[in-house]
Amino acid sequence: MITLVLDIITTAAILFIVAAGLLIVFGVMKIVNFAHASFITVGAYAALVTSRFGLPPVLAPLVAFLAGGLLGAATERIVVRRLYRRPLDAILATWGLGIVIGQLVTLAFGREVQFVPTPISGTLALLGVDYSLYRLLLVPAALIIAGLFAGLMNGTRLGLSTRAVIMNENLAQGLGIDSTRVRLITFGIGCGLAAAAGALITPLASVDPNMGLAWLIGAFMLVMVSGGSLLTLGLSCFVLGGLQVVASTFISPILGGLTIAVLAAVALRLRPQGFARA
Amino acid sequence: MTAMLELTELTSGYGSSPVVHGVSLQIAPGEIFALVGKNGMGKSSLLKTILSFLPAWGGTVRINGVDATDLPPHRKRALGLAYAPQEQALFQDLSVRDNLRLGLTGDRSFEARLADVSGWFPVLTARLSQRAGTLSGGEQKMLIVARGLIAEPRLLLLDEVTEGLQPSVVDRLSEVLATTRRERGTAMLVVEQHLPFVLGLADRFAVFKRGEVVDTGTVEPDSAARIDEHMRL
Amino acid sequence: MPDLVPAIEAKPAAALPGSPRAFLRVAAATTAAAALIVAGPWVLDTYAVNLLVRAFFVAIAALTVDVLWGVSGTLTFGQSAFFGIGGYALAIVFSQFGFGPGEALLALTAAVGVAGVVAGLVGWLSFYPGSTPLYASVISLVLPIVVVQILYSGGTFTGSSSGLVGFESFDLSLENWFRLSGLAMIATLLVMWIVLRSDAGRVLGAMRDNDERCSYLGIDTARVRIGLLVVAALIAALAGFGYVGFGAVAAPENAGFVFGTQLVVMVALGGRGSLIGAVIGAIVIELASAYLSSSLPFVWELIVGVAFVVVIVVLPGGLLGGLRDLAGVVRRRVAATPAPVAAPVMLRTVQRPAAAPDCNDVVVEVSDLSKHFGSLSVLSKISFKARQGELVSLVGPNGAGKTTLIRCLADGRERSDGSVRIAGHSIERLSADRIVGLGLGRKFQAASVFETLSVADCLRVARVRNERPSFIEASPVLALPAASRAVVESSGLIERLGEEARFLSHGLKQALELAMVLALEPQVLLLDEPTAGLTRAERQGFADILTALVARDRLCVLIIEHDLDFVRLISSRIIVLHQGRIALDGSVAEVVDAPLVREIYTGRPVSDAGGASA
Repeated sequence: MITLVLDIITTAAILFIVAAGLLIVFGVMKIVNFAHASFITVGAYAALVTSRFGLPPVLAPLVAFLAGGLLGAATERIVVRRLYRRPLDAILATWGLGIVIGQLVTLAFGREVQFVPTPISGTLALLGVDYSLYRLLLVPAALIIAGLFAGLMNGTRLGLSTRAVIMNENLAQGLGIDSTRVRLITFGIGCGLAAAAGALITPLASVDPNMGLAWLIGAFMLVMVSGGSLLTLGLSCFVLGGLQVVASTFISPILGGLTIAVLAAVALRLRPQGFARA
Repeated sequence: MTAMLELTELTSGYGSSPVVHGVSLQIAPGEIFALVGKNGMGKSSLLKTILSFLPAWGGTVRINGVDATDLPPHRKRALGLAYAPQEQALFQDLSVRDNLRLGLTGDRSFEARLADVSGWFPVLTARLSQRAGTLSGGEQKMLIVARGLIAEPRLLLLDEVTEGLQPSVVDRLSEVLATTRRERGTAMLVVEQHLPFVLGLADRFAVFKRGEVVDTGTVEPDSAARIDEHMRL
Repeated sequence: MPDLVPAIEAKPAAALPGSPRAFLRVAAATTAAAALIVAGPWVLDTYAVNLLVRAFFVAIAALTVDVLWGVSGTLTFGQSAFFGIGGYALAIVFSQFGFGPGEALLALTAAVGVAGVVAGLVGWLSFYPGSTPLYASVISLVLPIVVVQILYSGGTFTGSSSGLVGFESFDLSLENWFRLSGLAMIATLLVMWIVLRSDAGRVLGAMRDNDERCSYLGIDTARVRIGLLVVAALIAALAGFGYVGFGAVAAPENAGFVFGTQLVVMVALGGRGSLIGAVIGAIVIELASAYLSSSLPFVWELIVGVAFVVVIVVLPGGLLGGLRDLAGVVRRRVAATPAPVAAPVMLRTVQRPAAAPDCNDVVVEVSDLSKHFGSLSVLSKISFKARQGELVSLVGPNGAGKTTLIRCLADGRERSDGSVRIAGHSIERLSADRIVGLGLGRKFQAASVFETLSVADCLRVARVRNERPSFIEASPVLALPAASRAVVESSGLIERLGEEARFLSHGLKQALELAMVLALEPQVLLLDEPTAGLTRAERQGFADILTALVARDRLCVLIIEHDLDFVRLISSRIIVLHQGRIALDGSVAEVVDAPLVREIYTGRPVSDAGGASA
């Protein structure tokens, strides 16, 4: 029972870390970045590189963030910028970008599955159960990410400008805010966050050029349901992630993998704009 | 002396439909200029073209001598322009304080400017942490004007700022704007349908009808009657 | 006796849909292609033939994606799911029951049946009034994932992740599989081409261009889309059936999300909306993948990815679109004459009994209509009646609620309270397309037409509700009611019937939209600021048309206008709205000089009952 609860909490944390970058991009720019999966992959390989260079593993997420952020900013500048008026085409173009990035990674690193050593191994005895320490640490990691982001949005001038752009881009421009720059920075942060997520989850899974894909659909559905609010995203990760764990444990792991997608689709049918205001 | 705002044969529209037809006018530094006319005649569209929210099809916009016709909207501020729109003028979910902060480009001089705001509209400084959407209509209009003035602009564009307001609030607005012009030399382009308000404030006026200026002149005692002729039902 | 007037001379250089020349060209092309298919196996090596059989089946699936996405505007990643359903139906039946004619029939029925039911369900989920294209795409994304997971969890019944192999399948020679699949592909292409060029097929393009306008022309777009999805699913399922029947292997990848996305890539690269582009894209990519992925393992996919991104961003028309643009450029350089434009279209007037000259039945009855958003009241207690033969102008300052009122009349789900009766029938909570059926026509403020359709086709789509269109023919005759035809002739549209609507000037677009709405033969006409952006001459022409509609055809016209000179000119009655209520309702003389109206318009604060703000 305790294990189940811990599974739910840590799964929610992992989902949140993976989906946060996608949410940020969707919330500010109103487009869905289907290259998100490939940025997760980029981050995972960044962690691989970090470990190969013998750098302390705690640097991996930061290195990943930088790599993803720069690559993301570049793609915004070159490709995404032209698609703001065509949101469906933006999904397709970013999907294509994802393929391109994935293939480049494959060319650089090969197709084989690789492993990154766990920075922190072992278990923690918690509430009478031995649970993976690394998984537990992802919970505070998720909270830190959420906290940093909230701090950025609410405590800085850039955050104020970004919130203004989200609420009413025209008005923001009229007040002198360069919304193009805000979008560039946002996209960079969103991709950086995806890469950081990739680095963080590598110890839990293997690293191969297509690993990001498995997360994409779930993250996408969670973002749609959350309607653009980070808080609602957290709740959705908790509720839907929890239901996924329950379904996987008690019904079957395969059907459990469907839970998020199916329940989110139903939820969206009832309330197409998501649950941000609920 | 260079005009603060100079429009030359400015034309623009939506889709294939022209709404602003070759408009030319000049506003001198420190001058208050009234643009009057009935609904739907294109006054707001003219303001949007000046700000580049609507691309100009022809003609030029010069702000303080600088050709600003194709400058993106967010760069107009740097030229000393401030804009108080008619619709969707506030961030409803942000606080009064945050809305005011966005009137400036940085937070450095904000606290000092707040003193000015409390001089103009004390009710605003009493409600700094309230969400802008919870203010009454009049308070919202005051906030819009305060945000425009807080950056000490050289040219302020006001779009139907008295719409739906009580007489007492209109009078206060009139005072604040007149004082600001007197003390800081702020030029203003005031788009209005409320004639007594705008004629009491402005130096010159132009009547806008179907996208064109059909009459213009200095504000005199007989201006109201002259304008009424154009506004006849 | 129908009155046939040739609208323009037939331009010989054009070989356009509906004309005999077009059919000849297509027939020739089809025969040539069929001949190539039949001869193919004698010329190509076994490996190529093998690849092409698969490619042809995949091309059929790609065609269904093009119809849904390129033609109707619904981005779908889910056609692979139906492809897989078709294939697995065959594999499962043959694995479980062996091979035989009865089993084959069972497999076919299962393939078609399951695909149809699933498509109906998915369509019902995706297309409903108020749904967005994004949501439909989301569902199409989830579908193949769900199907694949079901396959994974099916144990030996479905073969789980390894799929199903080793079952006995149809015993055709490789050459005959080639001919079968190739001819099936050509047949599908031909049938699709015929249907999409027919009068009924125009509606799909119209829905892609402007879904709302279609609803307001009385077309239930949700139902059309669901029907289309079911048909597309059946075709994709049959393609999958053939594919697996040929290869005797069914793998979950055939139904998966990645394959579904590949189909989209093929259509995009080939040229979305062109049908042939889907076929070319599918065949080229399937062949190239097979030949190149061994010599250039990862680079091939990289090339495809880059090409895909470039196409989406820069060249939305794909390969075919690019070629077409190039051909257009070349043609303009080579030939001095302008490109041929119009198909011969003949106008015909639909005969209807003339309306009784003094008819003035009540056709619009509004009682206590209110609309509020939460605590914000936009309209309160609006009540009025309007009759045939009346031209009522709705005036009022910005924000008074005029457009909201129009919306509440045209769409039963908009209002919060109160009742509306159109031509004696209450609109209840009917959707816009049903209210059109009661006799209401709505013209929008911004000219709402179908940009990529020709003027004639726009009008044809507007007639769909009154005259069931053919699924095969593209009729050269356009039948319009007298009022609509009058607008077409007096505005000059009659000379531009073959031109695409997006090339019309603003004034002509407005005229086109009016003609389209009049083609519905409405009893009540709602107009929203129709003179915005019109020249003086256009405005006068418009006033004449409206006056004739009211006097001669006994329409009831409700018009929102800001131009009070225009209002004074044409109205028989004026309703003044202010802050969501009716402030005045009377004849032109009564209203025009009323002091209340002057106050409302000059903005002096009014001591009104609604309670001013601040």
